[in-house]
Amino acid sequence: MDKGDLRSGIFWLIVSIFIIVQSYGLGLGALNHPGPGFLFFFTGIFLGILSLSLVGEAWRKRRAEGISQRIFEKVNIRKILFVMIGVFLYALLLEKVGFIVMTIALLVFIFGFIEKRGWLYTALASVMITSAAYLLFQAWLKTQLPRGILEFYRF
Amino acid sequence: MIDSVVYGFQVALQPMNLIYCFIGVLIGTLVGVLPGLGPSATIAILLPSTFRLPPVSGIIMLAGIWYGVMYGGSTTSILVNIPGEPSSVVTCLDGYQMAKKGRAGPALGISAFGSFIAGTFSIIGLTLMGPALAGLALRFGPPERFSLMVVGITVLTYLTSGSMRKSLMMACFGLILGGVGIDAISGIYRFTYNLQALLDGLGLVPAVMGLFGISEVMLNLETEMRRDFVTSRIEHLLPTLKDWADSIGAIIRGTVLGFFLGIIPGGGAIVASFASYAIEKKVSKHPGKFGTGVIEAVAGPEAANNAAAGGAFIPLLTLGIPPNVVMAIFLGALMIHGLQPGPLLMQNAPDVFWGTIVSMYIGNGMLLVLNLPLIGLWVKVLRVPYHLLYPLIFLFCLIGSYSVRNTAGDVVIMLIFGVLGYLMKKFQYEAAPMILAMVLGPMLEEALRQSLLMSFGSFTIFVTRPISLGFLVTAAILLITPMITQRRKISHLEE
Repeated sequence: MDKGDLRSGIFWLIVSIFIIVQSYGLGLGALNHPGPGFLFFFTGIFLGILSLSLVGEAWRKRRAEGISQRIFEKVNIRKILFVMIGVFLYALLLEKVGFIVMTIALLVFIFGFIEKRGWLYTALASVMITSAAYLLFQAWLKTQLPRGILEFYRF
Repeated sequence: MIDSVVYGFQVALQPMNLIYCFIGVLIGTLVGVLPGLGPSATIAILLPSTFRLPPVSGIIMLAGIWYGVMYGGSTTSILVNIPGEPSSVVTCLDGYQMAKKGRAGPALGISAFGSFIAGTFSIIGLTLMGPALAGLALRFGPPERFSLMVVGITVLTYLTSGSMRKSLMMACFGLILGGVGIDAISGIYRFTYNLQALLDGLGLVPAVMGLFGISEVMLNLETEMRRDFVTSRIEHLLPTLKDWADSIGAIIRGTVLGFFLGIIPGGGAIVASFASYAIEKKVSKHPGKFGTGVIEAVAGPEAANNAAAGGAFIPLLTLGIPPNVVMAIFLGALMIHGLQPGPLLMQNAPDVFWGTIVSMYIGNGMLLVLNLPLIGLWVKVLRVPYHLLYPLIFLFCLIGSYSVRNTAGDVVIMLIFGVLGYLMKKFQYEAAPMILAMVLGPMLEEALRQSLLMSFGSFTIFVTRPISLGFLVTAAILLITPMITQRRKISHLEE
């Protein structure tokens, strides 16, 4: 049972090659005056060697024991995917749209769409949590949260 | 000396400062309990609110938060297996296992008491040895610093329960990640690809929040079942005599280890907790049981990380050199209040210096009082239904990562780390080595390059200097031992 070692090993091998190439481009310098790419070049090589050994062992195991189990079985991938998409959109749009609007939108998305609570619960929870967060972070702690489209509204 | 301490008490016991100490400690514990927001983010977020306060009160409050987070972090580690912050990662290993066996009470208890003892001793140490120790630590040249950090990373990969090879891979990757951004020596941008968010490097706070917080939430979203939570009533908070007997050695060792590791730049609470775990495992009569719920595996690291928190103040307050990220934020805080940390701080602002030190002692006492009886409260906080809790955790992380540098780029970075952390968990890679290497990376690289400059390119400098040699030998032993013991196991099986 290699538990995905083959796949992950190959992934890290590719990463290590990328690092080696990029570090070399940064310049290794000389031993008595190491350049910006010095440490990373050798670290990349070390990572590559480790990945190769992982891949090698996984390959041997696979030939001996057959295909490994699925990593993602029995997993509610859709839910995770949707939540993460929502949160990523939040991060990308936060500064443009503003904290208050985006936070309410995100919470409505999570409570209403993903958790499927009723609209009353969703509305109440979203507004209350956003207000509390705003009070805590903006009013009390003076964190500079982005205003976004509510820029005109000075409060 | 005694006069100074008495003076410190006079400052710290003023009602206003007591209140701010309490607020700091309370907020710190709360933040420590909630996974997602770490001490750096919290201190960064709360920094502006201290502007209006007199310097002493502001610094006292921030120090209280720092300590509080340490205490609070152990609570989530033990009860929910989510480290409240990086230095409680180790506590999860055995603490959570103890909780699953119904021994959450003693785990929490010993961690609180151990932390108190360690914190108290480290503050006494700070008072007595401050100036002298800082001098010694500063005599560590680049080769010693380099070797120490190599040991720190090796220790970490040694103790991870998974594959050491994979942990080493993660450490390598973390080292690279630490290099993203501008190169201090040459001024070149590395691995930034002209992305605004990467120019200043990858923030530690977003990375930690993502790798440990977000990924954990994602993991919990996988199944509709209630997540792994110790739901049985938490009883018997006071550890038994046997628990004390088992743990006292660990606490003492952890305190001493943590204190010294906290002083050394690049050391700190995280390394201290991991190092303590490794040492306890080595010293133990039953190392095989580590990871199943052994109390000294909780007592030692908890003591170590609190002692390190105290020790970390030494280079900051006496020399103006922050040994880790949180202390770097403290440095900023002191400067914003018009104070210059360093040898002159003692003379120019004795109320800040001694008042803060003494307030830490008081803070420790407050924490002990807060944590044990209020565990019921913290548990209730954690018992909020998960569908309500995870959006809150997300929100805290989102705002927290945003507020460190006021840029949405950090939020995106945090989320990417979250996905990475999730995949790593599924494919069984450890995140802690990556984070430690990321933190130590820049310092490690600087030490390496300085060493090679000093030695004109010769690597022998690392082995001709005795302290450095000692560290490297330790690292080598840690790397080679597992391979030998594994071969023996395999050959035994074959026989």
